[in-house]
Amino acid sequence: MEIKANLAGVVWQVLVSHGEEIIENQDVVILESMKMEIPIESEKSGKVKEVKVKEGDFVNEGDVLMVVV
Amino acid sequence: MEKEIKELLNRKEIAKLGGGKEKIKQQHKLGFFTARERINKLVDPGSFLELGLLAHSDQEGMEHKSAGDGIVTGLAKVNGRPVVVQAADKTVFAGTEGIVYFRKTKALHEYALKRGFPLINLMEGGGLRMPDGMGSDGISQMLFPQVMLRHQREVPMVTSILGDSFGGPTWLAVSSDFVTQAKGTTMAVAGPRMLEVATGEKVTNEELGGWDVHAKYTGQVDQFSENEEDSIESIKKFLDYMPQHAGKEPRCKETNDEPYRSLDKVVDIVTTNRKRAYDMKKVIKLIVDNEDYFEMKPTFGKALITVLARMNGKVVGIVANQPMQFAGAAGPNECEKATDFICLCDSYNIPLIFLHDIPGFRVSSDAEKLKMPTKIMMWNQALAQSTVPKISIIIRKSIGAAYGNMCGPTMGADFVVAWPTAEINFTGPEVGINVVYGRQLQNTENKKEERLELLKNWGFDSSPYKAAGKYLIDDVIDPRDTRKFLIQTLEYACAKNGSLSERKLANWPTGF
Repeated sequence: MEIKANLAGVVWQVLVSHGEEIIENQDVVILESMKMEIPIESEKSGKVKEVKVKEGDFVNEGDVLMVVV
Repeated sequence: MEKEIKELLNRKEIAKLGGGKEKIKQQHKLGFFTARERINKLVDPGSFLELGLLAHSDQEGMEHKSAGDGIVTGLAKVNGRPVVVQAADKTVFAGTEGIVYFRKTKALHEYALKRGFPLINLMEGGGLRMPDGMGSDGISQMLFPQVMLRHQREVPMVTSILGDSFGGPTWLAVSSDFVTQAKGTTMAVAGPRMLEVATGEKVTNEELGGWDVHAKYTGQVDQFSENEEDSIESIKKFLDYMPQHAGKEPRCKETNDEPYRSLDKVVDIVTTNRKRAYDMKKVIKLIVDNEDYFEMKPTFGKALITVLARMNGKVVGIVANQPMQFAGAAGPNECEKATDFICLCDSYNIPLIFLHDIPGFRVSSDAEKLKMPTKIMMWNQALAQSTVPKISIIIRKSIGAAYGNMCGPTMGADFVVAWPTAEINFTGPEVGINVVYGRQLQNTENKKEERLELLKNWGFDSSPYKAAGKYLIDDVIDPRDTRKFLIQTLEYACAKNGSLSERKLANWPTGF
């Protein structure tokens, strides 16, 4: 499963790392946009297979932030 | 009479094939259902009572190729409720409109209004038929039906775009209360072949009026579906929230969800860190009956959420800001979406609930070019003229003019209350200082420190207690009691006339 950015912004914090087990609804990344911190959560439980962004990156709506299996 | 009956049955049997078996095969091959199959998927089994089955084109020599003249019309029941339904028949001249088609659809629409039945349109087709509509005589008798233009939200009108639609089906869709579009179809004024000749523009169907265009840019479609079945399912769900006609309230549905249920989880969802966004849909889910809601235009103007839901069985419309998108700040699309939704709810006797978390409007030079002031005031005018019960809850931020648009005090709500987390003000203090002391700050050396110093003294109280203290809002409530408060107040607000509205917005346009 791909976790995507639901809006354009800057990656403020990456909260999980490669190989980490995560649970449904867990926040995985916090984006910063319009001076707000926007938490992005995982829709499913699983293991982080790939983290595609790092702190400070600009992401567009729809960009893949990480892949969870 | 045996012979006569046999002939009748034979005629009907042939008519049911519309444009013929070959055309039906082709429709299936392209992955589409026929008009009759669509109606069957929508209505209760055996309930379809067809009118105009024996009609056909009035063009000479076309009688045998045009059974129904491109539209299947009749009465039926959907989940036991009577409705009026029409489905465009692609097998007859590609679902285009001849004069008999016109006569059928007009009569059907008039009947829906006469007896107060929801009107459901399962549409596709290329618009006016050629050559029928050609010439000064053709076009003179085939302009827009008045019954569609003056529908005035008398009965709920729902349109599903199930195949490529230009002209007629598009007009009908944008005049409707609720529109679904199956992905892969097109909805536009005229097709690419017409554009090619008119302006030379070469464009695909998808670019012209594919779902993506309506999802992101136009907002002319309320929900999109992966296939025809899902589109038809959406229609049924929408109807469930609608009254039979504008003189009635939507049906109340018994619920096993405790009306005074405490929303204990809400404290985990809405953070007190004012810079941290949260998903307002989670708050809505928690408040409404059985966590169930029906969202309108989920992909358009996403900083504002509009949903139909039930509270203790009673249908309500919720207008809420979405902090996850643009911090909840509304732009032109959000304004249109709010206006549209207020018109819908007020016209069909559905009380409105407002959940504020809005830091202001998204102002920019682009927004001004899109008539932001007009959009803001259109929303406010709709709000001011609406007469259904309205209850307003300030969850977190509600700043400036947007506080009014979200039905703040003096804006016609039955009740306005705040959560203790509310932050109400004219503008944020940082912005306020920049406006008032901007020039002074430009000329100082220690801008940063002076700004901080000014901020310290710029202590206008934005907590809700200041407004509650002067009784400018009705109360500050425990967030966990939000469901209870809404259900209690709705009961009082609806005690005299139910949720019946004066319907002052019923003749407002169906799009802005």
